[in-house]
Amino acid sequence: MNKTTTGTAMASETSLNSTPALQNVRVLTLRDHAMRYGFLALLFGLVVYFSIAADGFASPISAVFIFQSVSITGILALGVTATLVVDGFDLSIGSVATTSMMTSSYVMVVLGGDATSAVLACLAMGILVGLVNGILIVYMRVPDLLATLGMMFLLVGLQRIPTQGRSIATGMTLPDGTVATGKFSLEFLALGRHRFDVFLPNFLPVSVVILVVLSILIWFFLEYTRYGRMMYAVGSNERAAQLAGAPVRVYKIWAYVISGVFASIGGILLAARIGRGDIASGNNLLLDAVAAALIGFAVLGVAKPNAFGTAVGAVFVGVLLQGLTMMNAPYYTQDFVKGAVLVVALVFTFALSRRSR
Amino acid sequence: MSFSRRILGKMAIGLLAVTTLSGTAFAAEMPKPFDKPGEIKIALVRYLSTGDFFQAYLAGVEAQSAALGVDLRILDSRQDAALQADMVDQAIALGVDGIIIQHGLTEAIKDAAQRAVDAGIKVVAFDVNVENPAIPQIEQSDRDLARLALEQAITDNGESWKAGYVYVAGIAPLDRRDETWIEFKKRYSGINEVAMFGTLDNPIANSVANQARSVLTANPDIQVMFAPYDEFAKGVKIAVDEAGLTSSVKIYSADISTSDISAMREAGSAWVATAATNPAVVGQVSVRALAMLLAGEDPGHNVIVPPTLITQSQLNDNDIKNMQELSAKLPQFAHADVAMPAWMPLP
Repeated sequence: MNKTTTGTAMASETSLNSTPALQNVRVLTLRDHAMRYGFLALLFGLVVYFSIAADGFASPISAVFIFQSVSITGILALGVTATLVVDGFDLSIGSVATTSMMTSSYVMVVLGGDATSAVLACLAMGILVGLVNGILIVYMRVPDLLATLGMMFLLVGLQRIPTQGRSIATGMTLPDGTVATGKFSLEFLALGRHRFDVFLPNFLPVSVVILVVLSILIWFFLEYTRYGRMMYAVGSNERAAQLAGAPVRVYKIWAYVISGVFASIGGILLAARIGRGDIASGNNLLLDAVAAALIGFAVLGVAKPNAFGTAVGAVFVGVLLQGLTMMNAPYYTQDFVKGAVLVVALVFTFALSRRSR
Repeated sequence: MSFSRRILGKMAIGLLAVTTLSGTAFAAEMPKPFDKPGEIKIALVRYLSTGDFFQAYLAGVEAQSAALGVDLRILDSRQDAALQADMVDQAIALGVDGIIIQHGLTEAIKDAAQRAVDAGIKVVAFDVNVENPAIPQIEQSDRDLARLALEQAITDNGESWKAGYVYVAGIAPLDRRDETWIEFKKRYSGINEVAMFGTLDNPIANSVANQARSVLTANPDIQVMFAPYDEFAKGVKIAVDEAGLTSSVKIYSADISTSDISAMREAGSAWVATAATNPAVVGQVSVRALAMLLAGEDPGHNVIVPPTLITQSQLNDNDIKNMQELSAKLPQFAHADVAMPAWMPLP
């Protein structure tokens, strides 16, 4: 629709000579196609390349593993997408995830709780952090980057206070000298380790299922529900949305709550996979998640945050890392390639997109 | 350089022997400043402090200081190299008698260390080279750590196997462990390194697990994984379990913690052995070396704390569940006979 009108406008402007106008139309369409499907084509090309170059890359197990390796950052990225949609940003997701990992470990190992209480405690923590972030940004008027940066530091410190900086594992010595007797419950560990028998026995990990379910949920929510569309409206023009009667503040706070909850789910999966509470800042999780969400801008050439793009972005990074590792590329080349992909994606988004002009 | 260091090392051992021998003559008589230990102030200036290893190190420093009865001040720069140098100056201003510099960056700390020496303060350094002949260097021997683990791998698997190796260059202890690995590959031509990977992205175990999964998919015939850092080993173990290769892969590592013990003891765990120095013992040795300097004795320029090999079967046979039980049941892990003149009280 948009394409044709621009084409016609161009044509009338250059009506003196019709040939270049026609060329223009064709070039634009080509570029449109490049914009829309460029990244998906690149992804497809990568998969083909690695299938040829790396032994064992093209197997169902390897495919499932790619999803598993990006499930945690993918879930975090979906959360940050929600804040990007309302024109915000959440720098605290990485530390929310590691705090959630520490919370679940603390509930089970030190307090002797079961899987359900551990999961509930983590989700409650995620909701609370999201609410505080939202209130700081909306009511205290703290800029989003600064508020969530503060929250990031706060959480990195907070997660260490209960254990005086120790990692949590069964049999650890507590600050008061006693030994923790609680255990990671088997149901909880299953979240990170159990695999369903789909197609092959012992094939599909729980974390991948959760990633797919959450992707579909947030995608449907953002694209097809009134609330999701309103969030986009808030993000593209807050004032207009407000004048149109939208409760802008509520939507913004909700976006941060979604982000906090998704990050805490990521942390639960992390704890279930590692099987202990590791002291960690989660900065790498944050960076990978943000990279996935930003790459998502370029997918389908929409130049805006979107859940489908974020999921594809996460898988894109996963395919790259899996392929490179299988070909024995050292870690710094992987960081380099990750950065290069991000830069290309941003060029796609900002330079080539007509929308952003 | 290495030539002169070797000689220094020999001199250190010689001196150590001499001081130990001469020490016995004065048995139990506390040497000069330690007859009034309450008046002695020492400072621990830290660069790294978060994590189990550093917590345990601190516990060792505290225990040995308490045993000596000296007043311990802790200054923690939390990975800020410039602040750590300032803190050494702060300690000088505080009028302490001795300083332990724990980790740090050579370039940033060496001038401050020299200023402390100039002020007549005794200084020892742990795991950071301050390039100062007046300052003894406390070290856990990373080469020995790697050697013990690899010797066990040779004992278990023979002299030829396919190996995966986890390594990140540029981290001093890992670089020293890497030297030993290269040496072993040269000595045993049957060791075939089919994959090298590694990352320090945190949480490290999770990132390494992702990489190791890819490596195992590409090379399912790997027999030995050498992961000379426990976070690496944890990640590799997760990947081995997920790939269902628990019975065909064996993991050899370095370092140990309570959660490592439970991971090694899981039924059918692929993680069969680790070589470790007890961080608490390293902390004690740091204080003891400083105390010897204060008493006018020479602990030697390189004070090396020897590591212990810990195998899965040892842990199972002795039913060891955490670090305390490990110290209690493996005496060689609980105490190192380093910097031990006869007058030295033990914690």
